Amino acid sequence: MAVDSEARTWKCAKCNVELVPKKAVLEYLGHTVSHEVPACPKCGKTMICQELAEGRMSEVEQQLEDK
Amino acid sequence: MKLEDSAAYAAKCFRGEPPSCAFACPFHMDIRSFLDKAAKGRWGAAYKILRDATVFPGIVAALCDQPCRQFCQRTVLGDAAIALRDVEAACLRYAKDRKPQAYVIPPKDKRIAVIGAGPAGLSCALNLAQKKYQVTVFDRESGWGGGLRSHPRFAEFDEELALQFSAVDLEFRFDSEVKSLDEVADFDAVYVATGADGESFGLLESWDKNLLTTSNPRVFMGGEICGVTLMEGIAQGITASKVIEVFLQTGKTTRPHGDHDYAEGCGRYLDHEGEVSVPLVVPSGPEGYTEEEARAEAARCLQCDCDKCLAGCEMLRRFHKDPQRIAREVYTDMVVNPPFSTRQVTREIYSCNICGYCKSVCPVDVDIGALSQFSRTARMSAGIHPAALHDFWLREMDFNTSEGAFASAPKGRETCKYAFYPGCQLGAANPEYVLRSYDFLRDTYDSGIILGCCGAPAYWAGDQARLRANVEATRRRWSEMGEPTLVFACATCESLFHLFLPEIPRVSLYELLAASDKISPAQPYPAAVVFDPCAARDDHGMESGVRELAGKAGVTLDELTEKNHCCGHGGHIRIANPSLYNEITRNRAEASDRPYIVYCVNCREVFASRSKECAHILDLVFDLPVTPRVPTLQEKRDNSVKVKRELMKQIQDIDFQPERHEWDSLRLIISDDLQKEMDQKLISEADLKEAIWRAETYCDKFYDEKDGMSMCSLIKPVITYWVQYRETAPNTYEVCSAYYHRMRLGQKE
Ligand code: SF4
Ligand code: SF4
Ligand SMILES: [Zn+2]
Repeated sequence: MAVDSEARTWKCAKCNVELVPKKAVLEYLGHTVSHEVPACPKCGKTMICQELAEGRMSEVEQQLEDK
Repeated sequence: MKLEDSAAYAAKCFRGEPPSCAFACPFHMDIRSFLDKAAKGRWGAAYKILRDATVFPGIVAALCDQPCRQFCQRTVLGDAAIALRDVEAACLRYAKDRKPQAYVIPPKDKRIAVIGAGPAGLSCALNLAQKKYQVTVFDRESGWGGGLRSHPRFAEFDEELALQFSAVDLEFRFDSEVKSLDEVADFDAVYVATGADGESFGLLESWDKNLLTTSNPRVFMGGEICGVTLMEGIAQGITASKVIEVFLQTGKTTRPHGDHDYAEGCGRYLDHEGEVSVPLVVPSGPEGYTEEEARAEAARCLQCDCDKCLAGCEMLRRFHKDPQRIAREVYTDMVVNPPFSTRQVTREIYSCNICGYCKSVCPVDVDIGALSQFSRTARMSAGIHPAALHDFWLREMDFNTSEGAFASAPKGRETCKYAFYPGCQLGAANPEYVLRSYDFLRDTYDSGIILGCCGAPAYWAGDQARLRANVEATRRRWSEMGEPTLVFACATCESLFHLFLPEIPRVSLYELLAASDKISPAQPYPAAVVFDPCAARDDHGMESGVRELAGKAGVTLDELTEKNHCCGHGGHIRIANPSLYNEITRNRAEASDRPYIVYCVNCREVFASRSKECAHILDLVFDLPVTPRVPTLQEKRDNSVKVKRELMKQIQDIDFQPERHEWDSLRLIISDDLQKEMDQKLISEADLKEAIWRAETYCDKFYDEKDGMSMCSLIKPVITYWVQYRETAPNTYEVCSAYYHRMRLGQKE
């Protein structure tokens, strides 16, 4: 099922503020990569949307597993 | 890990080795490639192989006695051997340019004397001259050719020699008989090839037929003087040129590096299953083959090389590596430093069904599955395993060995002679499978029961610690029950017990059912084939029990041509390689048009989810409705709990209360499509409930004010699950999407 996350305005429920794009570090099997993802400007909590998780991230995961 | 440890798994594999004909060929020519090029009409490329191997193709194509033909595997099919010399002769005619090229390398100062200008001496002389050594050929005759000088076709051979020598510089001293080695004392090396009745300078005694050396370290010898044939003589000249070159460079006498060892004999024969007989191509005219005829004859070559395991295994085909290479890479992948590693076989290793099919078809019993198993275990103990690929099944195992586990002798007893070991998946697929089977075993054999996990998830993940702990726990339980014979319904369980708990006596449920006159199985299909799981390969009790039961049901049975081929489930490759999993399950489902009768619930699940008509043998035995439906992950869990609850009630009169979680009371609304997607991705409802409960309880989520849509995540233990949902009623949530990733979010920006 496709998720219309793009059209949405997500807020951090704890801080009650809108998410902003932020560089996040992603770690896997001892490697790290960074990617811009929506995050709460106050508490830093980060969101990964389905498109990213099942698209680019999954590709990188496989590359790192194969590395 | 040492290289030998992993290499040993495929050491016996002979894929890529020269075929039987090349072993027999005096030149050990790559006949397979020669004929391949010839069949394609690539005469230039074919000629190059022929010329490089034989040096004087014009002589060889005319005079070779073709020992290869006696070893041509065409004869296995009852056909005549490939007419190699005729194809060679055709190659000489159809190769456009036979002019040798001069090598562009600097001249060398070492001098070599070749005594004898017959073919054996000349092949050595030519090769060394090509490498720009200073070569002098002596012969007592007035020209070259040795024994061939009196041959009726000598004019032709003379022309061939002139052609082959046309691009090199060397000195010929004819009419000069060398009577003593003193005459060639100022040469760095000497090759004696004086022909059938020539001078041997007293060195014949000390001649080494492998290295062509003599007791005089500077003097080498070969050809008819040593009692070999004309062709062997030419071949020895070629070998001598290489040995002499190594000697001149290093002072040592060894076979040149990379030379295949032909000493062991004539290769191996394959069974050429599926190949058809093709008769010898007879030339239409006296000049020999036309180009078309030569190509057709060359095309009769079977290109003998073992590809049995590759032909039978999608994984090996997809990655297309020789088994020996995989074994080497298993080692190299372990020794490199992980962050800088260039791992090459990870995906293969985790894409293997560990089904042993390769071993069953391999003529020398190479088991790539065992190699994969070895690699997974080594990686797990070194901590360089991709944990996410097996996490799902390890969590299942944890459940089945804790909350889902139960063991007891029959009601009112401490010990028993038999105990049913259904395995974790049988009851999860359908509680009736376990409950009805247990009823039968209890009534007929006074049997107890052990619900647990055989450890396959740990085994396939390479997790030895988990596996060992489980084995020990199982052994303890079994001995507390009075060491009963275990009754197995799952071939994988039975094979793991065979491996790790061999002291426990085993029997298959299907054998016991087949032996009973109380059982009269129902007939779901008039005709079907039995799909034997890979793990039952050597389990004749299981295989025959199932066939007997299907026979009793009146089902006409057919056999698959490839038996015990893994359905795709083995090795838990589904996460590691979804597309391969898909290919395998499709191929198995399409292996026969008839419905399948299976006796492994994993096979059943694979086929049911591909809409392949199939019934579990227990559907027949207990006349259960054959349904194409596969339970969801949650339903499977619930089924397992149900089985345990009913058995505990029945045997111990205890009300089993599964562990309660705060999130159990949440109600999730999941559409059929999403449910399917979740099952495919192995995302369970319980994990989503927990995620939502935590998000709601601790307000740890994202939300969209517009419509109250929420989004939250849960890390379990290596995988991060995300769920997008909306509250539709108190405690009720509609799930809109669910997905996961394996990467972890790091700390800082
Ligand atoms: S079946 Fe496979 S492993 Fe065995 S010899 Fe042939 S190519 Fe090698
Ligand atoms: S064990 Fe099975 S899946 Fe693995 S290489 Fe052998 S045949 Fe292929
Ligand atoms: Zn926040």
